Amino acid sequence: MAKRPSRLKSTRANSLPALLGAIRPRLFAFLLDWTSWGYVAYAVMFLINRYWFVRYVNFYGTLTLPTWGWPLVVLSTLELVVLSHAFGHSIGLSLFGLKLLTYSHRFPTAWDRISRYLWWHAAVLLLPVSLWRSGRECFLLHDVRSKTCMVPLAEVKDELPVTRPRPWYLTNRGLMAVALIGLTFWVGWQATQINLERLFSRAPKSAYLWKALVTPDFKHLAMPDPELKDSIMGGMLESIFMALLATIFGGLIAFPLSFLGARNIMGFSPLGWLIFTLARAFFNIFRSIESILWAVVFAVWVGFGPFAGVLALTIHTIAALGKLYSEQVESIDPGPLEAIAATGARRWQVVLYGVIPQIIPSYLAFSLYRWDINVRMSTVIALVGGGGIGRILFYYKGQVGRLSNAWNQVGAVVVAIVAVIWLLDYISGRVREKII
Amino acid sequence: MKDRYYAGFMQEKPRWMRSLADLRGRLFVFITDAIALIYLWTMVSYCWNTFVFQTKSFVTLPWWVMLLVVIEAAALWENFGVSIGMKLLGLRLTSADGSGPSMGDRALRYLTWHFSGLPLVGVVAAKDGQAWHDRLSGLRVVGAEDVETERYPWYRRSWSIALLVLLIVTLVAAMLVTRVDFVKFFTGAPKTGRIWRAFLSPEWSLLGDGIRLLIVTVFMAFMATLFGVICAVPLSFLAARNLTQGLIGRTVYTIVRGAMSITRSIEPIIWAIIFVVWVRVGAFPGVLALFVHSVADLTKLYSERLESIDPGPVEAIRATGANKLQVIIYGIIPQILNPYLSFTLYRWDINVRMATIIGIVGGGGIGQRLYQYTKLWRWSEAGLLMLLIMIVVWAMDYTSSRLRARLG
Repeated sequence: MAKRPSRLKSTRANSLPALLGAIRPRLFAFLLDWTSWGYVAYAVMFLINRYWFVRYVNFYGTLTLPTWGWPLVVLSTLELVVLSHAFGHSIGLSLFGLKLLTYSHRFPTAWDRISRYLWWHAAVLLLPVSLWRSGRECFLLHDVRSKTCMVPLAEVKDELPVTRPRPWYLTNRGLMAVALIGLTFWVGWQATQINLERLFSRAPKSAYLWKALVTPDFKHLAMPDPELKDSIMGGMLESIFMALLATIFGGLIAFPLSFLGARNIMGFSPLGWLIFTLARAFFNIFRSIESILWAVVFAVWVGFGPFAGVLALTIHTIAALGKLYSEQVESIDPGPLEAIAATGARRWQVVLYGVIPQIIPSYLAFSLYRWDINVRMSTVIALVGGGGIGRILFYYKGQVGRLSNAWNQVGAVVVAIVAVIWLLDYISGRVREKII
Repeated sequence: MKDRYYAGFMQEKPRWMRSLADLRGRLFVFITDAIALIYLWTMVSYCWNTFVFQTKSFVTLPWWVMLLVVIEAAALWENFGVSIGMKLLGLRLTSADGSGPSMGDRALRYLTWHFSGLPLVGVVAAKDGQAWHDRLSGLRVVGAEDVETERYPWYRRSWSIALLVLLIVTLVAAMLVTRVDFVKFFTGAPKTGRIWRAFLSPEWSLLGDGIRLLIVTVFMAFMATLFGVICAVPLSFLAARNLTQGLIGRTVYTIVRGAMSITRSIEPIIWAIIFVVWVRVGAFPGVLALFVHSVADLTKLYSERLESIDPGPVEAIRATGANKLQVIIYGIIPQILNPYLSFTLYRWDINVRMATIIGIVGGGGIGQRLYQYTKLWRWSEAGLLMLLIMIVVWAMDYTSSRLRARLG
């Protein structure tokens, strides 16, 4: 019998947090695998519903599980996780670098695995008792009874016998990954109602659309449309100015906020941590809602028009630039800061003379980049009443059927958008190269 | 370039080439200044019209008046100061002996400038490459680093004053064009009280439906990204400058790059409008719109990465007598695999965001329902859907940035 690895007997985590830290990879691997099996269960139910239930049982309905169905699904996925952990190498285990080995670091026999699998059911009930009872890494009941343990692979790599790596299609995790991707593809194809037949059969019908779009009608490029009271160039200018103002307002507000969202400025005191967390949470929450949805709210607030668009773009810009800026603040060179702090400067002086000179160029570059994005966004924000070139685009789109050349006019607007965005992209790219 | 053509038998470029470059510089300076002044004129007109006549118009005087004034002003500016165009090219006006030009010389150059418009072409043929107004006034334009001038503070340099004026006029005009109204911003706030209250009490009975829609949305992004990657990977090889050589290669490169950059400039929502007409309302047009935009975006990102690969391994493998396919498989792919994966994750992240709003034009997913609720002013339902969107987008953002950090 080889010597028992030292860490199994001696490493005693006395406190509960340390203990939880020790079994954290096991827990995460378990949860990840449970999620993936739950996903498989969902996909199977989706496909049953799509191919069998809706077609043969009830055309209108959706298959819903009976009340006892949900616990059954939960339990069966749980069993699948435990089985895959005891008998193979699941995705979660390989992602968190765990391997099932005996105490003597040999590969477990089939009997070990079965015993581990069976004892697990008792172990999960006794989990709190085990946590309280003993503080070793391999302390759970099924570990003890089957004399096996989930060992971090990185620590035991050298002790393991060298085996030929098997090709991916023979490994458990490879097959599982392929099955997951395939299943996702299948369900995705069904859920998004992809219909290639319709795409091709209606292609000739959409030909008139393409024909009109590539023969744009520039009648109202500079001459205002009498009904709309605006020209394409006027709308374009409105879009560019909307984006410009949103970038300026957003940048001005994001600038002070970015220091609050930077770890190295806020320090590790409880108050600093609180402000840091609040600032970062603000950035993340407001960034995750697209500006076009903000425009819906602001259209109610200040009425339809470009100002609502400016405000919507500003909100999103504050959050996006705040995050970029504060990451930039975090990555500054601490040398000058320490030098200035050593002269006895106060914290705001350190920020003013040490931090700001370092971040100005990248702030400018990020703001230019943001302006670019804002111009792109401002071309569509009119959809919900935000003003800009989109107003003209959607106006002509709405005239389809009334005006014979409506699609040609749409084509002209699209050409103008492409030209302006391409030009801005080029200029801002060149300028950013120069700044950084 | 220089080595290939002139090494050994010619010390520098022929005179006419230098003169042509000089002429191009002069034109660049003049056109830049003229554009800046036309822009200034138009924006000032707009402000003037708004404040004085309360009309929204960019025109005050006839266009030929503007053109005359702009041309004269540009000439004055270039002769009596350092214009923006001159600053951009790093040019200064100086007399032949190198001293600072006097006011009289400047005035002479400005006056004679009017008569040398056509002879400017003669610059190409002239021996010293000087135009008439240069010769008559004895002044010439040289690089800024050749003249030693004292540094003035910013308020005494005409180009920095001009930039400041341009900035202020742009800001004022932008506020007027976009009808910025801070009074309304503060007085209108109570109108949204109902919305915020409804957001705070979301309609939880919609949770099941919302999750189902959310799943569709995530699948839309997944399918668009998957198909996008399948198309963008081969296209990126055609759009990389270092891999497309020869006449055919260059043509393919130009066509692919041009098409992709046009496609990328059009927002997915606009694509969705087109595809809704094509394949009818539903999640499918949304997938197609995201797919088209993803292909263009990914091709650009991928091919830029391809252009910056290390040529060493590629040449080493080529030296062993490998064919083109083997060079790609063993020399290029190992270098680009991780960046490609990380770009794909990034794009998936963007696609999830976009998929949440593409429904506004009938592209399916959670956005379609959300937009319907906001139109009906049912903010409690909208609030729940927004909450779901927030959670999913945040989770995607977090996981994808963690994974990308791992991929490096």
